[in-house]
Amino acid sequence: MIRIKNLDKIFNPSTKKAAHVLKEINLQINKGELVILKGVSGSGKSTLLSIISAMDKPTSGEVIVDGKAVSKLPDIHASHFRANSIGFIFQHFNLLDELSVKDNISIVLIPLGLSIKTVDEKVQKSMELANISHKADQQVKELSGGEKQRCAIARALVNDPGIILCDEPTANLDRTNSLHFIELVKTLQKMGKTIVIATHDPLFEEAGFHDSILHMSDGELGEPK
Amino acid sequence: MSEIFLSNEVLIYLLSESVIYVLILIAALLSLQLIIKWDFGSYSEIQFTLEKRAYLVMTIITFAFIVKIATLPYFAYGIDKLSDLVPGAMCASGVIGANEYGYPLLGLKIATVFISGTWIIINNLDLQSPNYPFFRIKTGLFLLIAILISIELFLDFTYFGNITTTKPVSCCSVTFGQQGGSNPLPFGLDTAKLLVLFYLFYFMTAISAIGRYAATGFVANILFLVTAYYAVVYFFGTYIYELPTHKCPFCMLQKEYYYVGYLVWASLFSGTFFGINSLPLKWFAKKDVLYTYKFSLFFNTLFVLLVSAYVLVYYLKNGVWL
Amino acid sequence: MANSTFLRFLLLLLYQYRSKHAGIAVISSLIVALLSAVLFISQSIQAETALQLKAQPDFVVQRIRAGKRIDVPVEWLEEIQEINGVSSVTPRVYGEYYFSPREEHFLLFGVDFFDEQSSKAIEKIVQETDLRKFLSKEQMIVGDGVKKFLQEHYYKGFYNFKNPDGEIIKVPVYSSFDKETNIISNDMIIMPMELLRSIFAMDEETLTDIAFNVPNEAEWDNVLTKLHLLHYDIRVITKEEITKSYHNLFNYKGGLFLALYLITIMTFILIIYQRYAMVAVGWSIKDVLKLKFFETSIIVLLSFINGVIIAYCYVYLFDAPLLSNLFLGSENLSNEVAFMPVVDFGLLGSIFLFFGIPFIAAVLIPVWKIAVTEPKEAMK
Ligand SMILES: Nc1ncnc2c1ncn2[C@@H]1O[C@H](COP(=O)(O)OP(=O)(O)OP(=O)(O)O)[C@@H](O)[C@H]1O
Ligand SMILES: [Mg+2]
Repeated sequence: MIRIKNLDKIFNPSTKKAAHVLKEINLQINKGELVILKGVSGSGKSTLLSIISAMDKPTSGEVIVDGKAVSKLPDIHASHFRANSIGFIFQHFNLLDELSVKDNISIVLIPLGLSIKTVDEKVQKSMELANISHKADQQVKELSGGEKQRCAIARALVNDPGIILCDEPTANLDRTNSLHFIELVKTLQKMGKTIVIATHDPLFEEAGFHDSILHMSDGELGEPK
Repeated sequence: MSEIFLSNEVLIYLLSESVIYVLILIAALLSLQLIIKWDFGSYSEIQFTLEKRAYLVMTIITFAFIVKIATLPYFAYGIDKLSDLVPGAMCASGVIGANEYGYPLLGLKIATVFISGTWIIINNLDLQSPNYPFFRIKTGLFLLIAILISIELFLDFTYFGNITTTKPVSCCSVTFGQQGGSNPLPFGLDTAKLLVLFYLFYFMTAISAIGRYAATGFVANILFLVTAYYAVVYFFGTYIYELPTHKCPFCMLQKEYYYVGYLVWASLFSGTFFGINSLPLKWFAKKDVLYTYKFSLFFNTLFVLLVSAYVLVYYLKNGVWL
Repeated sequence: MANSTFLRFLLLLLYQYRSKHAGIAVISSLIVALLSAVLFISQSIQAETALQLKAQPDFVVQRIRAGKRIDVPVEWLEEIQEINGVSSVTPRVYGEYYFSPREEHFLLFGVDFFDEQSSKAIEKIVQETDLRKFLSKEQMIVGDGVKKFLQEHYYKGFYNFKNPDGEIIKVPVYSSFDKETNIISNDMIIMPMELLRSIFAMDEETLTDIAFNVPNEAEWDNVLTKLHLLHYDIRVITKEEITKSYHNLFNYKGGLFLALYLITIMTFILIIYQRYAMVAVGWSIKDVLKLKFFETSIIVLLSFINGVIIAYCYVYLFDAPLLSNLFLGSENLSNEVAFMPVVDFGLLGSIFLFFGIPFIAAVLIPVWKIAVTEPKEAMK
């Protein structure tokens, strides 16, 4: 469960460039729930995701994940939290081009100190889930956009996280691949994952996620329609 | 400029010390800022910047300290090398006594290495918990060490700058030998009593390590350190040199004795370092830092076995005691 | 510590970015090799000179007139012998013989083969010589450099000296001495005193200088004062002075260090690359740092071992072509020397320390970068 209380984020406070990006955000996302954040560019979606994943810190307010305040963790503990509880899918995938699909996925597990056997098993399982296991040994730079996406998804799933955060997951995909992604989201939902997706892709409405959509504009959160 | 500065070892040593000092200086300035502005409860941008910077500072310091610890034996080696250049010096003892800065410098170095080691352990404890509980303690301690290291660097240059290659110095035979039959041991001890104390104190450190008695260990290790120093110089050393009149803590660092001195002193310093530190660390962390006991026991035992082995082997080979 | 997945990933990275790593390793190896070669050479020379100097007499007495050295009368011998604490007083007759077309010179050294030698090196040569055979006619024993020189100039086992009056004196070579210990005596020729006097047309009653030992170091100052009281035109050279001037000569070459140091730092700056992607997927700065540390360590260790081995072969197997000229000076006779291998762990420590500190700086720089960049940057 994610609880966000009175969250404010101001970039460069008390300077001329000050930008109030998140304003008094209050939100509770239950375990297994799917939330889609919609909003125009610059409305603060990515910032909110980065604060939930403890990559960025709020100016005030709190983010509590499974009863633990994560917004004030020192680097090592924040990374620990990310490695154990969060799967992140980035708009630009953030993969290491020279490495193979398999190795890119295993990067997440390295700081956890698992045995090689466990790592290989987990990597294999998540590749199957994301339907990319047939490209396991191919270098990422040789993949198509959709395949890269699936590789990124496999990486987000490999640590078996309770929470999956997606930032514009379909922005670089064609319609077919986007639809594939949506199918996968449904599967993950069935597995009981908590999912937060930031997007402005209308496809999600078409796919019948109406109830889950939250509108964001200018750093403020609207009520679900 | 003194010709001492042209010696390869001295040059490398001083260069290393200076580079490390620059790192320490940067870290000290950042630390000063950290300790003044630090407010962990705050969500301000400044605090976040400070937290990131704290990590940088901590990394710099850790590296600098590790290099400092590594340069201690190198310092001994460089000094030993200089004995070729300084008239009258046969080993590091003569060179270190070449002017009045030598022994204070050596003492300060050993002290700095001890405290730096403590800092590294506290820092690791600090990183293990999610809210920097020892932040102020470790930053304060670091600033203290930074001051010591500043004095040390000053002494480094003053010491090497003031070694003359014209004035003969007196070496270990004079410094540590018996002058006019007077007893060099403190408290009027004789060799037999010294050895009894040596093994007794070792026994105490071992018991404290096994039973995790931090306070007893603290006292026992200090006593052991002092006794062991005298025991090595006035008793065990003579077996290393196989000469009853050769009394010197430095000559054993030389090649003729297979550099065994480095092992002897390193094991003694490591063992007593962990033994002494159990107490303050327990006090900071509010619990026993278990590995300090293990390492203390291990290194102290290694040290005692090593020096005792020299005596036994000599006896087995020659059938007599020195 | 490093668990096996970590190790696997580390090796994978090293392999994937192998051309970059190899480039760095090659440059680093060369720097280490150069640095080690310089240290090996100066260490060997120092060890060699230490040996040579041990064999030198404690004091040498010369006579000065108008700032120039002139010959010493034999009477001085007895005067010095009478000073308390003095031993092995040896008359010495020697001089430099110029081979003018090539601007080269030999050191001719006259020896009284039946006397006690104050120089242990010469003592050794004398002992190894069959005196009866050697002294049966006028012959000489030559250093290795001289032997080579004679061969190059087509002298088959002899040399024609010219005395100041232009008369030719033909002297056959009896034997030559060891290449292993020739850093100082490479260009030396040993011959009986009378032969040397005739080559230089020296007076029978004069000596070049007088060498002697004073076993008790405490007496040195005392003896020095007495000598100066004896004659106003006396010059005394002590072994101590020579020792120090040698030391300095070789230490000065250490100036190469600073330049090398800068190059080393530049190399390591090259190693820095960012891998922020990992920070976003659960790696802490500590993990990134650990990876960088091991990555750099492996390269450093490999370069270190490589460099030292290259330097060892270069100096001790191939006798350091080019670099040895820098150290021994090339103005004199052949400088082909065989360096005695002198490698101790302190020397290796020197090299490693010198090499390791820029390495630390190189690992620290990514922390700087990470510490000043928003972790959120990783998302972009
Ligand atoms: N580091 C920063 N410093 C200053 N302003 C920032 C910073 N990061 C983001 N912003 C500003 O915050 C606002 C929200 O950015 P954010 O990336 O959260 O928007 P978004 O909703 O994800 O937009 P998009 O749909 O384009 O991805 C933008 O106006 C952006 O310029
Ligand atoms: Mg965005």
